[in-house]
Amino acid sequence: MTKYKVSFPHLGNYYVPLERLFTRGLDVEYVVPPAITKKTLELGSLHSPDYICAPFKFNMGNYIETIEKGADTLVQTGGVCRLRYYGELQSQIIKDLGHDVRFITLSRGALSKPVTLYQSFKEINPAMSVKQIGSTLPVVMTMIESMDKVEDFVRKNSGFQKAPGVLETVQEDFMQRLRRTDSKKDVKKLYKKTTDHLLEIPLDKPKNPIRVGVIGEYYTIMEPFSNHDIEKELAKKGIVVDRWVNLTNTLFRKDWKRKKRVRRYTKYFMGATSMFTVDQGLRFAKQKYDGIIHVKSFGCTPEMDAMPVLQNISRDYKIPILYFTFDSQTSDTGIQTRLEAFYDMIMMRKGGLL
Amino acid sequence: MKTAYLGIDVGSISTKAVLIDKKNKILARDYLWTEVDPIGTVKKLLYSLSDQLAKINEHHQDNPYQVQAVGTTGSARRLIGSITGASVIKNEITTHAIGTTSLYPEVRTIFEIGGQDSKIILIENGIVVDYAMNTLCAAGTGAFLSSLAQRLNEKVEDIGEIALTSDNPTRLAARCSVFAESDMVHKSQIGHSKKDIIAGICQSVVTNYMNNVAKGKRIIPPIIFQGGVSKNIGVTKAFERTTGHEIHVDPDSHLIGALGTAILAKNSKDPRPFDFRISEADFQTKGINCDKCANHCEVIAVYQDEKLIDAWGNKCDRGRVI
Amino acid sequence: MVIGIPRGFLYYKHETLWKGFFDALGITYLISPKTNQEILDRGNEFAIDEACLSSKVYLGHVHWLIEKCDKVFVPRISSYGMDGEVCTKFPALFDLVTNTFADQEIELIHYNMDFRNADAEAPGFVKLGKLLGKSRTKSLRAYLIAKQGEKTQQILEGNKVREAMEQNGLKILVTGHAYNLHDPYLGTPVFEMLKKLDTIPISAARVHDKEIHRASHQISQNIPWVFNRELVGTIAHYQRKIDGIILITAFPCGPDSLINELVLRRIKNPPVLQLILDGQEGTAGMETRLESFIDIIRFKKEGYYDKI
Repeated sequence: MTKYKVSFPHLGNYYVPLERLFTRGLDVEYVVPPAITKKTLELGSLHSPDYICAPFKFNMGNYIETIEKGADTLVQTGGVCRLRYYGELQSQIIKDLGHDVRFITLSRGALSKPVTLYQSFKEINPAMSVKQIGSTLPVVMTMIESMDKVEDFVRKNSGFQKAPGVLETVQEDFMQRLRRTDSKKDVKKLYKKTTDHLLEIPLDKPKNPIRVGVIGEYYTIMEPFSNHDIEKELAKKGIVVDRWVNLTNTLFRKDWKRKKRVRRYTKYFMGATSMFTVDQGLRFAKQKYDGIIHVKSFGCTPEMDAMPVLQNISRDYKIPILYFTFDSQTSDTGIQTRLEAFYDMIMMRKGGLL
Repeated sequence: MKTAYLGIDVGSISTKAVLIDKKNKILARDYLWTEVDPIGTVKKLLYSLSDQLAKINEHHQDNPYQVQAVGTTGSARRLIGSITGASVIKNEITTHAIGTTSLYPEVRTIFEIGGQDSKIILIENGIVVDYAMNTLCAAGTGAFLSSLAQRLNEKVEDIGEIALTSDNPTRLAARCSVFAESDMVHKSQIGHSKKDIIAGICQSVVTNYMNNVAKGKRIIPPIIFQGGVSKNIGVTKAFERTTGHEIHVDPDSHLIGALGTAILAKNSKDPRPFDFRISEADFQTKGINCDKCANHCEVIAVYQDEKLIDAWGNKCDRGRVI
Repeated sequence: MVIGIPRGFLYYKHETLWKGFFDALGITYLISPKTNQEILDRGNEFAIDEACLSSKVYLGHVHWLIEKCDKVFVPRISSYGMDGEVCTKFPALFDLVTNTFADQEIELIHYNMDFRNADAEAPGFVKLGKLLGKSRTKSLRAYLIAKQGEKTQQILEGNKVREAMEQNGLKILVTGHAYNLHDPYLGTPVFEMLKKLDTIPISAARVHDKEIHRASHQISQNIPWVFNRELVGTIAHYQRKIDGIILITAFPCGPDSLINELVLRRIKNPPVLQLILDGQEGTAGMETRLESFIDIIRFKKEGYYDKI
């Protein structure tokens, strides 16, 4: 029997653990979507409603490109905002385009109800075995945790390498090797080796480096193409880039104290990722970071609603916050100008520009 | 030899240049419409500044001024920086802040509306503490005023004065220039007078600015208004009505960006003496579409007398030209 | 004490309930005026630029009430029952208002409804009553009276729609969130224009009928947002009785951006028109679009295209 060829849209480098989940856990083939390019976004925009948020358009582009690459089963996740309804509309659009593929929306399953999750997986491959997925999930989680830790280290230190690009090369090599690991033990061993390697790379880091925190909407913050590689651009200027949002922190960790921490600004849960944004914004402010960058796609309601809160935090703690809204039309030049000015402003505040 | 510093601000609509001495005093200044040829425009400006400097130097023949460093800013800062061998290539926000604080150390808020951009810069003790730029489109910028003025058969330079003659500005849709134009046509067809519509346009520039660029920012006087649109008295008055504060417009308000980058060039640790004869050289630019991946980066290559001197625009090494 | 009620968002759903509750307790309230350009201007001044038009209108109403009343009534509604979710704007609204007007002298009063945390409507109103210095029994009684009023209102609205469906003439179902459809500055002009075009515009935004809402499953089974589910339900339920459908949305509404596209793709008969309100365009453009939409329906109905 030929296996299903399954695909899921890109989100940063997470296709590596996803590939493991699908191939080993669900015993299907996994089609890695072609790397996101301008063409992906153009293709996605062409087939999406005009005023929808950008992640929808990126996903749409990924789907069309993976169908061209041979995928016959497309998967969409659930979410806590508009994302949870992406799948329903995307499957309709793909059907209207005349593609004969299966489309499976995991939003019907909820993490809190394992049975529903099982049913969604079962839909992907009816012949799946519970044992197999049970033994694969812990490996996938370890993969995600280690890649998140590696990425975090690179983000914070990339701007201070004596020879630019070395950390990134190690990271890319790590991702390639990660694909070839077998067990949880393998992953841990690889992670240890990679960390040792990373720590050996010579850095030229000042005692009090400039630190900038990045906060914002889930997709835009984690998919570098959609935020015009803003983290790399920041790092290039010799900045410690700190970002808390990743899969490990948002999916595997529970933080019961968040509500209490943000109480001064918000009485209630404001929906979706807005509380991550407020909480982390507040943390960067309290820890006296030099600045915060808030990213989101055009029209993202929960993040928009967090902005007045951020403005108050910015005033109370006198920390500058730069707001970026990305849509399919955003130009690189405008972003560059704003980032340069942000850097200059921080330098002026530190008394170093003139 | 006395030292001078050159600052060039190449915006989307106009190009400005100043020469300053080491005390930041402007020795020579000029500006021209950019049109679509930034290099040609800069060359013309350089001729003009070179003449002005020659005249000044006639009085100081034993000790003439010489340009020690160049700074560029504005949307074509990279291109012009590359052909002038600039020591400093800086974004408009920083140069406007530096330029303004050099003239008005006590400034707290800068409104800047240029050809396609508008920004707000907040300053405390001479230091930028916050800023914002227009995000999505060019509504409420100089380009918007020019296109509406043209529709009304008026010169953009004149509409400020016309606006002052109206007691009853027409309300216009302001968020988007396309809507604003169709709304303007509609309002004129239902009988609003031209002067009221023009006053409405000036007000809508301000409304748009306050709702978009200045949103959530605490506006504290003294306020300096600059950029090309600051030359429009109608907009300045509309700002005063809306903020309830006095708005200062410097006579050189259009030159502040050039001044700022000249000051940065003066302070640069990498001075590169500048020769005005550069304006006789032949510069060519070439846009190359890199086809090495689906990103199709547009790489810009600059040639001086047919020799490649600079290139940029590639996202990765595959598209490297120089 | 005077309570200020912003005439925006869920006021258009719960007008009867809210007013009934305050009336039964003898609390004075002030409702902000019908939306006008000045209110929208206030909203534009305070709202994030790319926020939806409805939320700008709402903030404009809140701002109008500041200094005119003692407390502004901004309920926080996170969900209506276990599968009754709403756009994140509503759970965020209380804190959004607090933070937006942090600089102003404004005090809010609210009730909280969040079924995930077992905060139902009745206890919410009892707590609200307590904040107003009323006893538990008095508040509960006031709530029950008000709720009865709301239910009656809903039945009447349902009857009105049913009657309208039986009328002769070109029937146009106008759907959209109640706060857009029934706002005099946003949706009302559309109804007036449709009447001028000699059609019968029918709004089902205030119908509250479980059976009708269940019909939404015929179009989409998984609509997470209860308001959109209701709207899609009325489309499915009345599809065969009407001649055209107009979807009204306020730019850039998150849930509508998905649901309207789906409706446009899945409903081929009767014709569907999407009208996006952004508070910018004059009425001229809208008139043209409505007129041509109605023309198309008429021509089709009268077999005009066959005659050519």
